[in-house]
Amino acid sequence: MATAAFTLILGAAALLLLAVAMACVLGWANQAFHVEVDPRVETLNDALPGANCGGCGYVGCREYAEAVAAGQAELTLCAPGGASCAEQLAAILGTEVTPSYPYRAVVHCAARRDQRLPVPKPQYMGERTCTAANLVSGFQGCTYGCLGLGDCVRACVYDAIHTVEGLATVDYDACIGCKACAEACPRNIISMVPFKAERMLVVACSNRDSGPAVKAVCPVGCISCSLCAKKSERMQMDNGLPVIDYDHYQEECDFAESIEKCRRESLVFVGKPGSKELEQVADEELPARIEAAFHTTVDETDWRG
Amino acid sequence: MSWFGWWSGSQNSFFGGLHPPESKERTAEVPIEVIPPPTEVRIALLQHLGAACELLVKPRAKVQWGEVIGRSDQFISAPVHASLAGTAMRATVATLPNGRHVSVVPIQAAESQPLAGSALYDALLGGTWPLDDAEQFRPHEIMDAAREAGLVGMGGAAFPTFVKLRRQEDQPVDTVLINGCECEPCLTADYRLMVEAPQPIVAGALLVRHALGAQRVIVCVEDNKPLAVRALRELEKAGVEVLVLKTKYPQGGERQLVKAATGRVMPGGGLPVRVGVAVLNVATVAALAAAVYRGRPLTHRVVSVSGGGIRQPKNLLAPVGTSYRELIRWCGGLTPDAARVIAGGPMMGFSIAADDEVAEKLPTPITKGTSGITVLTQQEVQRAEQTACLRCGRCVDVCPMQLVPTRLALAARAKQRSLLERYHIASCVECGCCAYACPASIPLVQLIRVGKIQFQNS
Repeated sequence: MATAAFTLILGAAALLLLAVAMACVLGWANQAFHVEVDPRVETLNDALPGANCGGCGYVGCREYAEAVAAGQAELTLCAPGGASCAEQLAAILGTEVTPSYPYRAVVHCAARRDQRLPVPKPQYMGERTCTAANLVSGFQGCTYGCLGLGDCVRACVYDAIHTVEGLATVDYDACIGCKACAEACPRNIISMVPFKAERMLVVACSNRDSGPAVKAVCPVGCISCSLCAKKSERMQMDNGLPVIDYDHYQEECDFAESIEKCRRESLVFVGKPGSKELEQVADEELPARIEAAFHTTVDETDWRG
Repeated sequence: MSWFGWWSGSQNSFFGGLHPPESKERTAEVPIEVIPPPTEVRIALLQHLGAACELLVKPRAKVQWGEVIGRSDQFISAPVHASLAGTAMRATVATLPNGRHVSVVPIQAAESQPLAGSALYDALLGGTWPLDDAEQFRPHEIMDAAREAGLVGMGGAAFPTFVKLRRQEDQPVDTVLINGCECEPCLTADYRLMVEAPQPIVAGALLVRHALGAQRVIVCVEDNKPLAVRALRELEKAGVEVLVLKTKYPQGGERQLVKAATGRVMPGGGLPVRVGVAVLNVATVAALAAAVYRGRPLTHRVVSVSGGGIRQPKNLLAPVGTSYRELIRWCGGLTPDAARVIAGGPMMGFSIAADDEVAEKLPTPITKGTSGITVLTQQEVQRAEQTACLRCGRCVDVCPMQLVPTRLALAARAKQRSLLERYHIASCVECGCCAYACPASIPLVQLIRVGKIQFQNS
């Protein structure tokens, strides 16, 4: 009896001793290996949306928070967070945030699949991705424009870009400007434009060829006539395409004459639908429910072995 | 590996490869024809591997035949010359078959050209060439002449030639291989050159040997070209050797040629100079001879226009910058069942038009590296629907680089950079053997090229 009690006490005491020893080691380690962490990083990280989209150029939200705390990064880089997030960050750091505009993706091509000349015959038997189709020039006539195989759609985690009739189309209600589509596009025809207004004027063409060459492959592409640039001082011709000066772009800026002069469909407004656009489609009925199709849930290039 | 090496290295050959239908009979016996000067040539300012040239002439300037119109101060580059006398127009942008957008200078041809027809042929390829005169030049003079003449590898890769002709003390070259293995089906431009003009080839080969201080110069020809072998053997006493190799695709690939001709294995990612070898195409050395002995820059080249979709397949001596449309028109145009125009041969070429309507309009200019135009018929481009990989391993059997193409393609699809690296994606030479052999019609080369893009970007 006594032996058993002794064994019990011995065991308990040994464990207690071990626990104390360990606690001492941990306590020492906590002091010796202490790393000074900026306490603001935690709060900054909490203020960020935690999407880890990488749109700011840093690996994840935490790294961006560290860069902000160290004063190495602008406060307005977080696209998902937007202006309110930038204000929060500024409040934590006790600084002012200079207002900036949200950047949104713009596809610089306006040709739907049936407009791409010659009308593509189903001859392309290669891999159904833009990166692969961009390697062969027989896919479509225009060597600059949208291929419509959806590399940008697969890159977008916000479901904000879709191929509509073979043309990548941004859904500006969902786009947060993370730049993933612009980086995925092998033809570099998606760029980020500061949206100073709800709807922005953009050049919806990337073809730098001469006029006749463009006409041979596209009914809507820019033919470098430069009439638009002559009519507006906010536009300039650069290497066969008009460039809009977004630094001085103002909502009330008048591009009407330029748009009127454009004989193609290269100057278009993009953005969230305004009241005028909503009026146009007011009498159209929307389908009650959209059924998920196989191709919307499974990437058709991924399953094949 | 030693057993492998013994098995694959015997009989002047290399591992892997295959033997697609040669289809050379259409143009093999057609003599080189000089096309009349086209009304316009469009000279691309980037026709080679390396830095693009800067334009030297103003719009509306008169240019002479052979005048330098573009030059770069970068080391790896080659100047471009006007291939016709005429008027330079404003530079525009054109899309080359490889998908690159480059600036091009259109030159409107003048009424009278200094040389045309047979006189042009004689000036560039004909007549007698000095076969024992290479020693009169200093090695660097030959290199400078190659550089000034804008010489690039005319087999397709278009690597500036003068870089290969540079003597390097730490990497001496003992063997010069002259590549006459035109292994690509349909193409006969090099073959006709060897048959009709062996003299400038041998003269150029001896210049290369002298420039590099090499001991041996070997002209390598596949055994399906007996006439070329005979023509070159007659000049063997000038100091070149003629080596007959097995007919196999891709025998003309640099690595495969070095292995088959010398038994040396080039290290991965290295140039032939690492094993003491220099490899130059027959057309390149003929152009070198023309540059050194006759002062002619590289303005014309032989292009074979062939394939089932061409009415009269021909070998043409055409100015660089001639449009595909012009060449196709000179060959009688396309047949009704023509389906695809390919820049180069069917194995490694780039498809440039999927439609005969477009092909009629093709303003794409030929470059210094364009060795042929192949037009395939509807029947020839027909491919079975792509199915899943069978794991049959045929792509592995035929890969001359001893890679595993199916794994590479899978890794490219899955965007796995580490796998791409593990399977040595950078070693792929894109010869097309794997895709040709694949019974499941998987576009292996295309996927591997996608993988290379991913590999470079990440």
